[in-house]
Amino acid sequence: MNDQICSFERKQRPTGPLRPGDDEGGPSRPKVDRPDTQDLMKRMRRVDPNQARRYRQRTGE
Amino acid sequence: MNRLFGIETEYGITIEGVDKIDVVEESMQLIRCYSKADFVPLWDYRLENPRKDARGFEVDELLNDTDEKVHLQQDRKRKIPFKELKSDLIIYNGSRFYNDHTHPEYSTGECLGLFELVAQDKAGERIVSICAERRTEALSDGRVVMYKNNTDFEGHSYGCHENYLMDRSTPFDQIVQSLLPFFATRQIYGGAGKVGEERGAKAGIYQISQRSEFFEVIASIDTMHKRPLVNTRDEPHADPERYRRLHVIVGDSNMSEFATALKVGATALVVDLIESNDIPDVVLKDPVAAMRNIARDQTYQWLVEVEGSPNRLVPAVDIQRAYLERADARFRGQDDETDWVLRAWAQTLDALEDDYTGLIGSLDWVTKKFLIDQFREAENLSWDNPDDVIWMQSQDLEYHNVDRDNGLYYLLEAEGQTLRLVEDAEIADAMSTPPVGTRAYFRGRSLEKFGEHVKSINWDRVVFGVNGKHEAVDLKGMVDADVVRSCNEILDRADSLEQFIATLRETELQPVALA
Repeated sequence: MNDQICSFERKQRPTGPLRPGDDEGGPSRPKVDRPDTQDLMKRMRRVDPNQARRYRQRTGE
Repeated sequence: MNRLFGIETEYGITIEGVDKIDVVEESMQLIRCYSKADFVPLWDYRLENPRKDARGFEVDELLNDTDEKVHLQQDRKRKIPFKELKSDLIIYNGSRFYNDHTHPEYSTGECLGLFELVAQDKAGERIVSICAERRTEALSDGRVVMYKNNTDFEGHSYGCHENYLMDRSTPFDQIVQSLLPFFATRQIYGGAGKVGEERGAKAGIYQISQRSEFFEVIASIDTMHKRPLVNTRDEPHADPERYRRLHVIVGDSNMSEFATALKVGATALVVDLIESNDIPDVVLKDPVAAMRNIARDQTYQWLVEVEGSPNRLVPAVDIQRAYLERADARFRGQDDETDWVLRAWAQTLDALEDDYTGLIGSLDWVTKKFLIDQFREAENLSWDNPDDVIWMQSQDLEYHNVDRDNGLYYLLEAEGQTLRLVEDAEIADAMSTPPVGTRAYFRGRSLEKFGEHVKSINWDRVVFGVNGKHEAVDLKGMVDADVVRSCNEILDRADSLEQFIATLRETELQPVALA
């Protein structure tokens, strides 16, 4: 059984802003700037325009 | 917070670079990629009964939509045994990972902590993503891509369900009536956003929710046909004399950690209010219509008609605020997470009323809309051109791609432009570590420690093979904190399975030898 369920490698990534605190010491409203979209636009242009047309699923719950 | 809750997510699956995909086979194979060893079916389906209705009856069958009936007829010709097809796994973190209706589904273990639940939900994404990588390596052609979304844009929806354990003594009709205004309006912060419509005029518009247009009735046991705002399935997975499980099917799958936390946290507080019989005096004239109209309202005022004076229209923000004010008055100061939810809820409603673009990076529908709008302007796309709409739907889909090197949401996250509530290290831990203080810990650690002796498993029972006998441990009693703590400690201290079972006999769990 122990062999059946393997442990995954633990991938670490740089993190974004974490639990932005406020005076009350907890996470608060997001204080996210309007993103610079240059790189995102490059990535979005690489998305196949017909990806959604081909993407067909069956009904789930 | 003071309630057990969890999230079930059905993922969309495709293979880039191939013309046709067998979703039945691929969903099954994706689950199998979790394990490097042969699959051993352990899930005990005899303990499940999704046909029992909270309104006091049992239906003969759950209904499917027309397309799915045809698919199911074709599926019956396959020679794959049911258990093999489902490929049910319980992971060491106490979650369930399996093939549900051709969608790989990850159901978190039961959590008591809100941010712990967020980490467990994100752990599911990571696991699904890694399984996709492994399946891709095994294929001769194409790349498996997994989407944490709820639609194929052609009328096939799949769910993200939430579960909240509730006091059984609260009358079910009271629960339904109390939830309708809340559920119909919750999408203003819980919605994941969607390009286009899939029903009716199929207009080229942006909706704030993926799922809202799929709900057709107030209450029903079905989840795949004529979906209800309130699902009446009565399957508590706990002592049915004391508890019910509120099975919430109206939500979208969220990429945003903040949206997940706010959606679940606010709902948990509303469940607290319902149990306290302290609910705002608001009744929607037509909750189903309100659900759909809010999603497709291009003015973002989200006005809904309420009972009372004729044509009385109230903003969805105000209806949410009515619940928030009751919750704030009753629960503020209860614990840190409750206070976080109250604060986040209030600030989010203020922002939605003031300028929703201030929520880019925190709410999914706002973030996605921002990306789609930027792209549409850059490429000069038109909502009136069907090909342009499909291109935007392709972007919509990619927002939900769980591959962190390619998904649009994750590109924003990598740039630090999304609100994070849990650290990557916490998510990594949650991939193999169960939530603390719940029976999910017992389930997951039982498998880790004595897995070779586990004969069957379900949410509320584990059967161990001990000295030629099958000993069933009923987990229905593992809700009270003292019982949970005691039994989890016994598990941690046990040096052998025999000792573990013997010690459990001295507790409320009382293992039973099966014939």
